[in-house]
Amino acid sequence: MVHLGRRRHQPELVVDESNALTQTSAPTRRAKSGPPLRDEKLKQRRAETRTGYIFLLPWLLGFILLTAGPMISSLYLSFTNYNLFEAPKWIGFENYTKLFQDERFLQSVKVTLTYVVFGTPAKLIAALAIAMLLNSKRRGRGFYRSAFYVPSLIGASVSVAIVWKAMFGDAGPVDQILSFFGIGLGGWVGNPNMTMPMMVLLTVWQFGAPMIIFLAGLKQVPAEMYEAAEMDGAGPVRKFLSITLPLLSPVIFFNLLMETIHAFQIFASAFIISNGTGGPAGSTMFYTLYLYLRGFGDFRMGYASAMAWLLLIVIGIITLIFFKTSNNWVHYSGDEK
Amino acid sequence: MKFTESIVVAAVTRTSDELMSEGAPMISRRNFITTIATGVAATALLTACGGSDGGSAGTKENPTVLNYTWWGNDDRAERTNKAIALFNEQNPTIKVVGTFSDWAGYWQKRATEAAGGGLPDVMQWDLSYLRDYAQRNQLLDLGDVGIDLSGFEKTLLPSGRVNDKQFGIPTSTNAFAVYYDPAKLKEIGVAEPTGEWTYAEYQQFLTDAGTKSGGKYYGSTDFTGIWWQFNIWLRQNNITDFTPEGKLGFTKADLTTWWNLNKDLRGTPAIIPADKVTQLLPKSPFGSNKTVSEPTWDNFMAGYIGDSGAQELKMVAVPSDDPKNLGLFLKPSMLMVASAKTKSKDAAAKFIDFMVNSPEVGEIFKTSRGVPASKTQRDGTTFEGVDAQVVAYEESIAKYLTDAPEPPIVGFGTLESEFLRIQEELNYGKVTVDQAVDQWFTSAEDVISQNS
Repeated sequence: MVHLGRRRHQPELVVDESNALTQTSAPTRRAKSGPPLRDEKLKQRRAETRTGYIFLLPWLLGFILLTAGPMISSLYLSFTNYNLFEAPKWIGFENYTKLFQDERFLQSVKVTLTYVVFGTPAKLIAALAIAMLLNSKRRGRGFYRSAFYVPSLIGASVSVAIVWKAMFGDAGPVDQILSFFGIGLGGWVGNPNMTMPMMVLLTVWQFGAPMIIFLAGLKQVPAEMYEAAEMDGAGPVRKFLSITLPLLSPVIFFNLLMETIHAFQIFASAFIISNGTGGPAGSTMFYTLYLYLRGFGDFRMGYASAMAWLLLIVIGIITLIFFKTSNNWVHYSGDEK
Repeated sequence: MKFTESIVVAAVTRTSDELMSEGAPMISRRNFITTIATGVAATALLTACGGSDGGSAGTKENPTVLNYTWWGNDDRAERTNKAIALFNEQNPTIKVVGTFSDWAGYWQKRATEAAGGGLPDVMQWDLSYLRDYAQRNQLLDLGDVGIDLSGFEKTLLPSGRVNDKQFGIPTSTNAFAVYYDPAKLKEIGVAEPTGEWTYAEYQQFLTDAGTKSGGKYYGSTDFTGIWWQFNIWLRQNNITDFTPEGKLGFTKADLTTWWNLNKDLRGTPAIIPADKVTQLLPKSPFGSNKTVSEPTWDNFMAGYIGDSGAQELKMVAVPSDDPKNLGLFLKPSMLMVASAKTKSKDAAAKFIDFMVNSPEVGEIFKTSRGVPASKTQRDGTTFEGVDAQVVAYEESIAKYLTDAPEPPIVGFGTLESEFLRIQEELNYGKVTVDQAVDQWFTSAEDVISQNS
């Protein structure tokens, strides 16, 4: 974020540096612009603003009608009893208090948190590892980069979840390979204890997006630093810990934040793998899936809205915590510390 | 997309014409851009309000459009489209337009449409959801819109009735049965059931099938997880499922007895383990050749034969500890309903009448919807092979039949899926029978208090 902000101010910096230029050009501009011209300019500006808004209009309308409006009405609905047919009935905070007595809700929180806590770091580690491998200079790396990105393009699709289901089923490839090594777990899909590892593997496999961002970050680490470190006798581990990680920390921060938020919202793969039931035995009952089942399965829209807002608040708090603690471990180049 | 493009092109052309004409201000890049922006914005507005005309009396040139929607697989889609084509041909002033989806997505779509006031004119419907929508004034009273109800059994019609109004017309009936695969039984050396059996004998049959096959087949899925099997058991014991006031008619003790019935069978080869069932979804264990038998509705026959590839499957009546009371009944396998807001009541009534009474429609569907409910349609249909088997089964149990169930309480869909879900946890060994019963009653009471 800081990086971006700084880059935006760069033109000013340039002007500041070439003091002479600023000083000579500024008076000339002032001399030229009389009051009528300023009016003209103002007019032009207004027209420009108007054009800008007209261009924005389709998006703005979409935002107001399809995003902001529904969000506000869902906030209202979260305080009501609403079954889609009859007018919503105001019940105050009842939906929110009921949530914490709902065993299935608590189960969904547990499942989602487990997924976030294990899935996100695992995915980032995989993304960073692959990015580092792809960063080295070797032949055909362009091809490898594209190849490793492919899973992310198709990863969220319905078909992959179906393939996943087949791979981890009874006598599927995963079961067969593990059995070959004497680890007979049977099918993962039907086993409540194995569905979570399966879901985590599915998300780890979709490391493409954070990988590309890591790769871009790695490109910006100056090669001289590594050279200097090598001269001082630093090994690969030391170089990684003392150069790569600190210099990459803004990128890590960005990826961690995005992937955490993303992980909280997992829905499609869980929906498909469990046939929309959150089974077996509630082991894939993710937060959003339960929200969906409550809203569209049981027609409890007020309850589902309360769940949605609670999720928004929790994600907001977690983002805030990330930002607050980031000062301690995120280093931006150029920061004097 | 095409529409959008044409609007933009029109906007641009018009403006440039204006600009080119005498006395117009100079063409500036800015004006030009503003115009395009206006055009795009206008398009967004225009496309947002899709047009619809609400004429009701159709002509040959301008027929009344009737939207019809149903759930089902490709086979049903093919048959339904045939029926629609036939209707459109016979009624040139009406044009039925059909859409379909699978079962789960179907009810979510209807709920959203109902909320927006845009339910399709005519819909295929299920008993479980009839009261939900009828009580909330979403459905049309079909009692006196000219649908011929003379061919229906008097005991069947109440199942389409809510508050004494005929909101749904049954297309067909189905009855509960125990399916088995005679070839598999022969292979493992177990005698075919006769259909005159107690629960203990049924369980012995399942145990024999599971043990004698040496791990190749299981007996069946856990029959205590099926709501309708429970309903039948309640009827056998003269207990009602729901009271007329919409409360539960049975107690925790009843449900405990029911789920305890298979206590000793769970985890043995008599019953297929839950993790196997989960992995086979959306196919059934019986259709996947993992079990030798399965209790369910008699119109599943064709589907099972298709799934399993078996030469022949047979059906017998459900077990009962009271040989005189099998608790069986004919249930409308599906109903036809119309939206309360339809603008073409007469056309809707005509189409429903055609779907439930026409012998030609019977010839198209055979027993894939169940046995035709209307005598006119049933008598005009020839049944052979599998279809004849289903008809024969319903005739064989005719003397045991009790009244068709009334539309269940509001929110019943939730109760039924909770029944299945909690019972699955029971089979995974996650909860005890007592915990399972408590869980189901908690959510049932929640649903009932929510909707009363």
